Amino acid sequence: MLSVGLMMLTLLMLFTLLTPLLVPIDPLGISAVDKLLPPSLDHLLGTDELGRDQLSRLVVGSGISLRIAVAATALTAIFGIGLGMVSGQYPAIDIVVSQISDSLLIFPGVVLAIMILAALGPSELNVIIAVFVLYVPRVIRTVRAAVIEYRDADFVQAARSLGASDLRVLVLHIFPRAIGPTMVQLSLGFSSAILVEAGLSFLGLGAPPPAPTWGGMISGAREYIRTAPWLMIAPGAIITYAVLSLNLIGDGLRDMLDPRSRAAGQ
Amino acid sequence: MLSYALRRIVVFVPTLFITLTLIFVLTRMLPGSPVASLLGGQSVNAAKIEEVSRQFGFDRPILEQYLEWLPRILSGSLGQSLFFTKPVTEVLIQRLPVTLSLTVLALMVTIAVGIPLGILSAVKRGSFLDYLGNVLSSLGMALPPFWLGFVLILLVAVGLKLLPSSGYRPLEMGFWPWLSRMILPTIALSLSQIGLIVRMTRSTMLEVLDTEYVGMARAKGMPETVVIVRHALRNAMVQIITAVGLLFALGLGGSVIIEQVFALPGLGELITTAAIRRDYATLEGGILYLTLMALLVNLLVDLAYAYFNPRVRLA
Repeated sequence: MLSVGLMMLTLLMLFTLLTPLLVPIDPLGISAVDKLLPPSLDHLLGTDELGRDQLSRLVVGSGISLRIAVAATALTAIFGIGLGMVSGQYPAIDIVVSQISDSLLIFPGVVLAIMILAALGPSELNVIIAVFVLYVPRVIRTVRAAVIEYRDADFVQAARSLGASDLRVLVLHIFPRAIGPTMVQLSLGFSSAILVEAGLSFLGLGAPPPAPTWGGMISGAREYIRTAPWLMIAPGAIITYAVLSLNLIGDGLRDMLDPRSRAAGQ
Repeated sequence: MLSYALRRIVVFVPTLFITLTLIFVLTRMLPGSPVASLLGGQSVNAAKIEEVSRQFGFDRPILEQYLEWLPRILSGSLGQSLFFTKPVTEVLIQRLPVTLSLTVLALMVTIAVGIPLGILSAVKRGSFLDYLGNVLSSLGMALPPFWLGFVLILLVAVGLKLLPSSGYRPLEMGFWPWLSRMILPTIALSLSQIGLIVRMTRSTMLEVLDTEYVGMARAKGMPETVVIVRHALRNAMVQIITAVGLLFALGLGGSVIIEQVFALPGLGELITTAAIRRDYATLEGGILYLTLMALLVNLLVDLAYAYFNPRVRLA
């Protein structure tokens, strides 16, 4: 599963990077004569209501979507692992960190992201912040649980009695045990980031127009669902493809790192 | 059990407090003055703005507003909606049936389809059903629900003309008019939930089927049906019930976007429009309702989990 997922993701990245070299890409070029054209050799995926080439928009949107997901996941990894380790080690900090992250987890789904974006205004950076706030509590919890599980283990006490500092113990002795579950959380967070970004830009809270986001393309196509249904199909299909590939990677990682689920998976 | 329940409820108090504070802070951070938004395109002078500000208390220091706001919210008074010019509670109560129709129907479909499919996938591992369950769950979790909604509208409402494409009819106007407009949104919302529950059920069942007491039951020569239903399923149910509760909370979040797709006038639709109009009171109230429902479900799930699992309760 891991290899299939990685292959699919590589294909998506190649699509994003190489398509501009193969066909002329002009995501913003407006042309009144070419509006709402069905797919043809000139416009492989047709054109939208302003005559903009859909393939171009899809490729640029792919870049935006991956950029947001990578940035949000990187932030989640840095703060999630850091805060998780600290709050697992120091009970005084744990009270504050856990209480806040549990409260963040209470908001159902995208409601929190909607509030954040309504407050900060729609932009690529703010989408990254919203997705980060949505997923960082999950990583904090995962890392924290691993630290608590191992902080009194024999090998940790051995290291301490040799004079290792808290930092050294956390990073070199405890964190390696948490890498597996953390990687799984992060890969699932990555795929959720793509879904959430699409949902937010569908609601008009993502990167503002004319930036061609996948969700924004679907939102724009809904008025033409009867006359130009092809406008709707491609962006949704590519979101599904991207999320599917990342979920496969997440599942593959889990099977690789957790023998119990490997047994169950076969 | 009672002492566990009390402990659990006590732990929820600070969570509720932080959640409420977050809602207050984020809604006060909204750009633009709600007064300007309230007065709309009217040409107004400074005096008018000041008058409206004072009327709604926007001119006072933020901390003072917060100290006045918190006890008021806790006592259940959500204030006056700036746009509907009636109490927020009234607006919310009006919208609640729509969101509940959608989330409860989706949950029912999820349970009816997902749990049996998950159990069968585990029992008949490697069969066609297992394969079907796997494909369905992978796709379900990857398809963006709002896009699935449009594809369903395209195929079923526009193409086959079988069902209406959007809108809402209250149940009082007849069962079919209500249900027919709910079918497509329900499918769109439940597919991702089905994906999650199939996997959950399958892996939990596989784990349980692997235990020694199930091996023991088999060794005693019990019929396989009895082994699965009475020994395995009963133990797996604890995990599955927990997952169902979490799915309900997830569905509340998912309904926000689905309501936009199908033009359903529910809480989610209210929240998104209130955010755009900077209708503080309505936005706060809508988020509060959704969040409190999720909080309540989480609490119930915790209690149910402890009830079925003495190890948690007595720890």
